[in-house]
Amino acid sequence: MPIAAALKVLVVDDQNSVRQMTRISLEQIGVRHIHEAENGVQAIDLASVQPLDLIISDYNMPEMDGMELLRAVRGHPAARRVPFILVTGRGDRELVVKAAQAGANNYVVKPFTADILKQKIEQVVGRLS
Amino acid sequence: MTSLDQLKNTFFDECSEALQQIEGGLTDIRQGHGSDDTINAVFRSVHSVKGGAGIFGFDGLVGFAHVFETVLDAMRSGDLAPAPEIVDVLLPANDVLTDLIAMSRAGEAIPPNYGQESRSALESLLGKTEGDDLGGDPAPADFEGLDFMPVMADFADPLDEPGDGKQTFQIVFRPLPDMLKRSSEPLYLIRELQKLGELDLTADTTALPALADIEFDRPYISWTGTLRTEGGRQQIEEVFDFVSNDCTIEITQEQPAPVASFAPPPAPLDEPPVASVAAAPVLPAVQAPSVVPAPVADAAAEPAARAAAPPKAAATTMRVEVEKIDRVVNMVGELVIAQAMLGQIVHGLPEETSGRLAQILDEVIHHTRELKDSVMSMRAQAIGAVFQRMPRLVRELATKTGKKVQLEMHGENTEVDRSIIERLGDPLTHIIRNSIDHGIEAPADRAAAGKSDEGVIRLSAEHRGGRIVVEVKDDGAGIDPDRVLKKAKEKGLVSQDAVLTEDEINNLIFLPGFSTANTISDISGRGVGMDVVRRNIQDVGGRITLKSERGRGMTLQLALPLTLAVMDGMVIKVTQETYVLPMSAIVECLRPSRSDIHNLIGGRGLLQLRGNLVPVVHLSDLLQMSSDSTDSDERVVIIADAGDGSRLGIIVDELLGHQQVVVKSMEESYGAVPGVAGATILGNGRVALILDVEKLSDLAIAQTTSTSSRARNGETAAFAL
Repeated sequence: MPIAAALKVLVVDDQNSVRQMTRISLEQIGVRHIHEAENGVQAIDLASVQPLDLIISDYNMPEMDGMELLRAVRGHPAARRVPFILVTGRGDRELVVKAAQAGANNYVVKPFTADILKQKIEQVVGRLS
Repeated sequence: MTSLDQLKNTFFDECSEALQQIEGGLTDIRQGHGSDDTINAVFRSVHSVKGGAGIFGFDGLVGFAHVFETVLDAMRSGDLAPAPEIVDVLLPANDVLTDLIAMSRAGEAIPPNYGQESRSALESLLGKTEGDDLGGDPAPADFEGLDFMPVMADFADPLDEPGDGKQTFQIVFRPLPDMLKRSSEPLYLIRELQKLGELDLTADTTALPALADIEFDRPYISWTGTLRTEGGRQQIEEVFDFVSNDCTIEITQEQPAPVASFAPPPAPLDEPPVASVAAAPVLPAVQAPSVVPAPVADAAAEPAARAAAPPKAAATTMRVEVEKIDRVVNMVGELVIAQAMLGQIVHGLPEETSGRLAQILDEVIHHTRELKDSVMSMRAQAIGAVFQRMPRLVRELATKTGKKVQLEMHGENTEVDRSIIERLGDPLTHIIRNSIDHGIEAPADRAAAGKSDEGVIRLSAEHRGGRIVVEVKDDGAGIDPDRVLKKAKEKGLVSQDAVLTEDEINNLIFLPGFSTANTISDISGRGVGMDVVRRNIQDVGGRITLKSERGRGMTLQLALPLTLAVMDGMVIKVTQETYVLPMSAIVECLRPSRSDIHNLIGGRGLLQLRGNLVPVVHLSDLLQMSSDSTDSDERVVIIADAGDGSRLGIIVDELLGHQQVVVKSMEESYGAVPGVAGATILGNGRVALILDVEKLSDLAIAQTTSTSSRARNGETAAFAL
């Protein structure tokens, strides 16, 4: 059973406010190690040097979007096994399908509550303690 | 302020940036130089607003942003052409979005059906009729029927175990009490360990006694942790070779995780896989392993290359509260003062002691200046923050007046101090209002004058000679001097028989109480005249100049200082008093021979300067101090720019030197004093007034015209030069 406090999570979103809200949700769940990146490029840079247990990434970002990041992560020697949850807007089914094909472990639809996020994370990493 | 409120603020700040992006992008598209990237960026901005609004619960905002976004998405995918007539729907939509954001920020309730017109226009672009579900809840928060089976990550298999031949060792390192006494330093050992691989140590400080009981040469701290290394146990042991008697060290190798059958996440686990898409027949059902991405090794090449590809590193930015920066600015100010004091002491010392000290002081001065510049650049903001409000203004005014106006903006990225930006909005708005209301002609009149029916207003900003120059230029009718003069005479602003040059007439519009529009329109006739504009600009230490060409248009130029807090000043002495003149106003300093100055009646002189005559005035006369200095040969004339391009010679007794001074406002505590811009603290700790050259020039004129009263006061009417 993974311990929430030990989980190293990377939150990727170009909007600071959204990153902070995600951070608050994660903290409510009990996650203590939270890294942030503003876009795919920063995220992959961080994932290359930082051991991570989970990436939660927005889709719509400048520089490198969530799908491109997902592919880059899956192709990255050090980060390729890091579970990946894609954050999408409502109604974007096709994107979720594509993400699944590209190796996303789960998705979550914006806006989400801490409970939903927890549920989505647990589906990927197992029940948190 | 709660953290949620702070986050909301952050969100609204992001919204302002997004709005700017949208406005800029749409304008580019409207003018035909938008690319796919432009459309994408606009889409993304609207999408961000929508996403954040959803998270923070601004539902009224979400609904509208959604419709807006949907139209942009159609444009992005090519279903909708980025034609001008479509952009003309999108631009007002951005205005509505701006309003909605402003209302949300202010916590106001959004009136029902606010922006309905714009919304309907957007919907009609999509071929939807009102009442369609566009604006409502567009889709459930989860995708019904889309059976995305979350892929369980297996934590028994360490995620960061890429099988690169590295081994992980548990290390427990406890220094014995005598370790430090034997000159062994645990820190060096830890550094050595670090060289072997990835070291993750935790210090155990439980043995640490109370501060009073600490013996400085006893190690109280021990460390436990892991080391992932390519080397073996032996290499780790080697690190501790020399200290094996001074510490206990336990090294245990962690069992390597079984080489997992865990392929990268999308690979099949025991369940059938990732996602199966029942409801989307167009797409291939996701059935592993057939559509699973190529094995990692192969797939690695392309995306990894991509990842490495973007050459432009994302700008890393940090949001800092303005107050914090302002505090640094203030501290820099204090530092400048302290440094000046130090300078005074150093220069008072005998040569043999001061030499080296002065050298170091010079360095300190250099660094302080750089420090000041960097802090100021932190406070600087792109002037685009003000410019961005203008396109909407122009659009609305053009609609109201029935004129066709195009706004061109240049130099939006020019950086200006925040404090100036904040006070630039109103004057610029007013100038542009004026330009559209009085400057640009109606399309028919323009056509008759042989101009294109669309008027152009060019708004630009650039750094020029230590100042920021903002220019508003239009190609309208310009100022009609006859009309202006007539008006001015009617209002008694100039005497009936006055003969003025065209330039002088044009500048009459800056006089208080001047308004040329025969009927006060609801656009610029709001009781605010150009005099207020000029005062606003002067209040921030700027100048405004006007150039008008009848029938061809006019240009208003605002020259603004880079910053308001610290400035370069010339410290001068008149009688026993010390003053500071802003360096930016000083053209040159000279010591003219007596014969170059011609005395005039009325307290003025004229200085013959390279063939030109410059009015000169003694500062002590100007400030009405009793002048007791007699040695006129020592006097210095400072030729200053009086703001409107004219020169004024100011006679002072002595130049004390050039110095950075911190501007302290006097107005708040003392009220405005004509001719005085503020105060500063000098190196000797004394307060000196900073003079306002422009106002001094006005004073000089005013005093000349009231010589009679001065004569009554028994003052000398002419200089003792």
